[in-house]
Amino acid sequence: MKKIEESIFKFLMVSSLVLLIMALLSITIAVFVKGYNALSLKMIFTTPKGGYYLGKEGGILNAILGSIIIALSATILSFIYSFFIVFYINVYRYSKSNFSKSVRFLLDLLWGIPSIVYGAFGFAIMLIFKIPASMIAGIITLSFVILPIMARTMDETLRMIPFELKQVGFSLGATRLEISYKIMLRQSLPGILTAILLSFGRGLGDAASVLMTCSFSDSLPTSLLKPVATLPLSVFFQLSTPFKEVQERGYASAFVLTFLMLFVSLIARLCTKSLSKNVVK
Amino acid sequence: MGAKCPIEVNNLKVSYKKEEILKDMNLTIPEKGITVILGPSGCGKSTLLKCFNRIIELEEDVKVEGEIFVDKEDILHPKTDLIALRKKMGLLLQKPQVLPMSIYDNVAFGAKLHKKMKKNELDELVERELKKVNLWDEVKERLNSSAQSLSIGQQQRLCLARGLAVEPEIILGDEPTSALDPLSAEIIEKLFLSLKENYTIILVTHILRQAKRLADYVAFIYLGEVVECGKKEEFFNNPKDERTKRYLSGIIAG
Repeated sequence: MKKIEESIFKFLMVSSLVLLIMALLSITIAVFVKGYNALSLKMIFTTPKGGYYLGKEGGILNAILGSIIIALSATILSFIYSFFIVFYINVYRYSKSNFSKSVRFLLDLLWGIPSIVYGAFGFAIMLIFKIPASMIAGIITLSFVILPIMARTMDETLRMIPFELKQVGFSLGATRLEISYKIMLRQSLPGILTAILLSFGRGLGDAASVLMTCSFSDSLPTSLLKPVATLPLSVFFQLSTPFKEVQERGYASAFVLTFLMLFVSLIARLCTKSLSKNVVK
Repeated sequence: MGAKCPIEVNNLKVSYKKEEILKDMNLTIPEKGITVILGPSGCGKSTLLKCFNRIIELEEDVKVEGEIFVDKEDILHPKTDLIALRKKMGLLLQKPQVLPMSIYDNVAFGAKLHKKMKKNELDELVERELKKVNLWDEVKERLNSSAQSLSIGQQQRLCLARGLAVEPEIILGDEPTSALDPLSAEIIEKLFLSLKENYTIILVTHILRQAKRLADYVAFIYLGEVVECGKKEEFFNNPKDERTKRYLSGIIAG
């Protein structure tokens, strides 16, 4: 009886794993196959010329650069807020205190809010202050979308740090600040990198928050105050045209987006290895 | 070095979430030498030790009352300079806890917090402190590798060196050998014996034989109270309290 139980569960586990790998492979392959014809270096290194969405010359460099700049800036911005929040609740307050628990609950709530709501909220504020759709508005809005992801992921790694490590810091006469950045930060570096990576990935792929706050543009991102293109929106615009060749470009753009994510993950994994050298287990 | 006056504990009460852990404790710890705080698990030994450098306050819902005089100053006074106090006391935990950095940086860490030091001064300091704990010869070739790569016994010696590098006067040991293998434990015990000329050492343990080997003075704690204290010979040969006799004969188990 126990043996049957064991094999049923083993079967379920393996088949879920197969499902996961199939999903990943089929998405990548489908996008690649459908976009293969349009995929070229020219597409990656030029901007849309007149009539691009009708099938004329051009590429998606504007969206690639726009997405990278926006996602990167938003990640940096939200890392700064998260750093202060997370170290406050884990070093300056008791990690298990009601205060810290409430902050975590708050972040979980924020995590659950769809990004279109952040976009709408950002848009409403922009209307009040008469700020036009611009890169800076997109960066700030997106930084709030990824803040809960960043903060909660960082928080989880800091929470895992043994209490004794803090004790050692205090007993050597370190201040809370010194404990934060000289001990806790070093110990949690691999976890923090994961947090940054997750947030960057989310930022790169998020369409709803930038749709309402930084609009779209066919030219290269040059100013914080002007509208800017992003990859997910570029994919959307190309796929929603009735022309087959433009749709192919859409799939090619989607492939670029996927590839970008894969590339960042790989780099991050390589970094994690060297960062965990000194981590105390 | 070494505290100039005995450490006096007066009417110390510690409670954790309304549960009394230390009940009205009175104790005098002589300067220099090793004072062993002996008692079964859960009697409040570690709590007492953590009051000396006020690490106890890091835990939530802890209430500490009473007075502890170190160098004639009440360290439980709210205005105590905690950093100066903790610099004066080196703490060695039960399980060696190295910092997430290289061997070299582990030793230099505490010292660098308190004083700006040049590279060559730091080099000297690291070598001197590692020699004090007989670790230098084992690690001098790999000072830049992770402290995590050392064996657990070496890690405990590294922790001791890290504590000594801050130039404390008092060493607090919270069962510092209980996680170690017998050989490493013996090395640590010998180190304590060699350090007792220069430091006031307060060592918490529940191992009777260890107390017999190391102690100059013994304080026996049971259920949050000091039952008996005195010089080693007197304590072991001629215990006065009934509970001490029972502990020494193994009736109260550790």
